[in-house]
This record gives sequence, structure tokens and C-alpha cells, in this order.
Amino acid sequence: MSGKLVPEINDVTREYWEGTALGELRLRTCLSCDAKFRFNHGWCPQCGSAELGMEATSGKGTVTNYTVIHVPPYEAYAAEVPYALVLVELDEGVRMMANIVDCDPASVGIGMRVEVTFEERGPVMLPQFRPSN
Amino acid sequence: MADVTIAASFELKPGRYPDKSGHDLLRDIIKGALQAWPVGPKDIDGLLVTPSGQAGGAGIDAYIHDKIISEMGIRPTFAETLNAGGATFPMMVHRAAMAIADGRANAVLCISAGKFLKISAGGGEAAKMISEPDLEAPYGTFIPGLYALIASEFMHKRGITKRDLARVAVAERQWALRNPDARMHGAGAIAIEDVLASRPIAWPFNFLDCSIPSEGGGAVLVTRGDLGRKWARQPAYVLGYGEAHPRGTISSPGSLIETGAVQSGAEAFRRAGLSPSDIDVAQLYDAFTSTPLLLLENLKFVDEGGSGEFVQGGGMDPGGTMPVNTYGGLISYGHTGDASGMSVLIEGVRQVMGEAGERQVARADRGLVHCYGGMMFDHVTLILGRES
Repeated sequence: MSGKLVPEINDVTREYWEGTALGELRLRTCLSCDAKFRFNHGWCPQCGSAELGMEATSGKGTVTNYTVIHVPPYEAYAAEVPYALVLVELDEGVRMMANIVDCDPASVGIGMRVEVTFEERGPVMLPQFRPSN
Repeated sequence: MADVTIAASFELKPGRYPDKSGHDLLRDIIKGALQAWPVGPKDIDGLLVTPSGQAGGAGIDAYIHDKIISEMGIRPTFAETLNAGGATFPMMVHRAAMAIADGRANAVLCISAGKFLKISAGGGEAAKMISEPDLEAPYGTFIPGLYALIASEFMHKRGITKRDLARVAVAERQWALRNPDARMHGAGAIAIEDVLASRPIAWPFNFLDCSIPSEGGGAVLVTRGDLGRKWARQPAYVLGYGEAHPRGTISSPGSLIETGAVQSGAEAFRRAGLSPSDIDVAQLYDAFTSTPLLLLENLKFVDEGGSGEFVQGGGMDPGGTMPVNTYGGLISYGHTGDASGMSVLIEGVRQVMGEAGERQVARADRGLVHCYGGMMFDHVTLILGRES
């Protein structure tokens, strides 16, 4: 998997990647207004508070948007095509991007139920999704 | 709105200019415009330019306005380099109109040039620029794929089909056959089956659903109303403008198909005192075949889900009930990278000024131009007319 883009571990993202290393998909939470959102903010996008927590998700969600990529954006992805690129709405109500793995990409569609799995990518365990029952 | 016009336009023929930088192309546009327009450097007291070198991968020059000021020998009282991707160009018209209304300038040169990497090399790099570095880019984002995420929701919720998308490419090719500057001018007509049979890029897009990576650029001159009437036989009056930026990345919350065009369109119509049925001809930014259909719905030209029937019935074709992308669109005319939205704007200007040659629509009293930037993040709607 060399050459694929690798997320950066820094003070803002460390807790998220510590979670994925433990097999846990985490969301940022706002301790002031209870909003939930993706991790890479130092403040709450709803109320602006910097008092933030983090909680584990169920790791389950539904595909809301999808495509199957046939042309690799980088040479490093050439062996992967065709691959499914999707947006998943987590059951906790937050949307995130991922690939759908462990299935025929042509079987992916809107409304598909999926569950998180993890791909070793450089120094991190990258959340991915696979079909769930 | 204030008495402001677009008095002139100039555009390079889109193509490949391998020996020229973005800055070189800007010089070619300036030289061409100064020969074609009834104005000289001393008439120009405002300048808006897009940063050169964005999509070309050569580094971004955010000080390009200073270089142009020096090279043109102008001394503007209003000048900047600005960027909102494809949305920049109607936005320039609005910023210039505000400067004119404020007395800051009388004649504003709005100019842009674009380079474009090959699609195989550029799709990934360009996607990286507009993707979240940690939460999106690692998943293999690719420009056609990001648009495809929007298109999938559009097709699912509104009943739009791949054949409807393909029909957009068919219509735009018909227009390109009438435009000698279009990349596909000599390529002949295409049918829906040709689009469906072209190689897959990112579902639902096949090769002929995608715009053509090109290089080029152009300029318009936004002026005080009296100067427009002096310099142009038929200036294009700025009647209405709307702008909205409701999201900044593809995985931000909210529906991807309730785009900012809903808000920017409603604002532009309100400011112009017009409704969609008052528009004779529309230019709708079309990086891929799905976007003109989504914009027709978001701008309320058709009901939700009605864009498929509209395009299948020939509504946007030559002779259609509301011609769309009358120069061939970015899909058959060419997508000039950073300057793509300039092509969209200039065609809107040319139709209203009556300068569109063989493709001039029979009635162009009022034209609408809609452009967006990013992956449909930044939205701007501009309404132009033959009378103020």
C-alpha cells in the first residue's frame, strides 16, 4: 500500500487515531451543546465551544452517496480500481467518507447498511466499511 | 441594481498551449482584448484576476494582479487577485459592480487564464486541493468521483437516469457543432448510446459525460452604465446577482443536492425582480453532465425530478424552450482549468450582446449565468439583460 495518502497524526487528530488503533471509530462531541462531529476541529462547529470530548460510535451506518472509481487518481491506487468511494451516514448522525471493502464494488448502492473495519495505512489504522447484515 | 454593464469580452480559443505558462496566457488575453476593444490602458481603473497556475501544478501566483498592473501600465484604484474556483467569474462581475457603485472604479478588467493537467494526472492532485487531508484524501478522492457522489444522490432521490445525463452531452455537442471555437466543433454529433458506450470513469460518469481538460482563458470589461453604452452597441446590463457558500467539503453535513444554487438563484431573481420564466437562455456550469440538470432544478427552471424530462424533450437543445450552454459547455467546448467559469460567463455575455454568431439564440433579452466553485460548494447566479 506504499504511496497511498496517509493521514497526519497531530495534537488535534491523535485521540481519533488512538481509537482506530484500538478498533474503535470515535466522534468528537461538544461538552457544551452535545453536538457530534468529525474529529478534525479544535472547536464545536455548532456553538464554537473549545470544551470537547470524544466518544465511541457503534461503527454502523448507511451509504448515502456512492461511486465506483475506474481511473486511479494516483499510481498508488492503480491496483485498487475499480473501487467504491462512498459517504456513510453513521447511526450517530454524522457523515464520513470511506471505501466499501470486502465486496464487489458494483453491489454498493444507496441505502446499503455497512459496518466499520480497519485498514493498516502507514502509521494509522484507517476506518473503512464493509457490508453488514 | 446600479447602472452597470459588461461592455466587452474576449476569449482565447481553448486548446493546448504547452509552451505557455498561465502568465503567458494572461498576456495573450490582454494583447487580444486591447486590440479588439474600443478602450486603452488609460480607460481601465479596476482589475480583478484569478491566481495563475492553480490547476497547472506550477505553483499559485497570488500576486499576479501586481504583475499585470506593471505590464499593462495601468494605475487602478481597485485591484486584487481573487479565487472561488469556477464561481469566481460571475463573482468578479459582482465585485466590480460594487466597486463601480461605490465610486471606486469606472471600468474594471476581469481576467483569467487556465492550465490543465491531463485528466489522469490532474484528477487526483486537484481533488487533494479541495479534499480534507486526513478524512477524505486517503480514500482515493478523484474529481469525477466527488461529483459522482453528488450525482448518485441526485439520481436516487429525483429519478434521474444515466440516459438523462448522457442526453446533456448530446445537447452540448449539438451546440458545439455551431461554435467554431469549441474543441468538439469538428467531431460530429453524438447519440445517447455513444455516451453510454464510452469508457467508464467514475460511475455514473463515462468518458463523454466529462468536460474536456483544456487551456485558455478570457476577459470581460465591467463598466459604468454610460461607458457601456458608449463602448458597446448592445451592452449586457447587470440585473441581478446572488451568492451562497453553504458547505466547504463534500462530507460536510446536509444534502449534497440542495446546493447553494437554491439560495443564490432565489436571491438573483429577487434582486432582478424576475422569475425563471423570464429567462431566455442559460449558461450552467457543467464539469460533468449531471450538474446542468441539478442546477435546472435548484434554480427552479423545472420542478424537482423534472430535469430529465426537460433534457430528453430537447429543452436545452438549439431551438429548445430554454437553450442551455449554447457554446457547447465545458463538456464539448473545453474546460480551461482555473478559467473554466470565464467561458460560461462570456457565453452569457455574448448571447445578451448579440455576438454569438451562428449559435445566437432567437431571443436573448435576458440571460442567466450560474457558476459554482469547489465540488459545488461556492454558488453564484448572475442575470444579464439587454435593458437596465
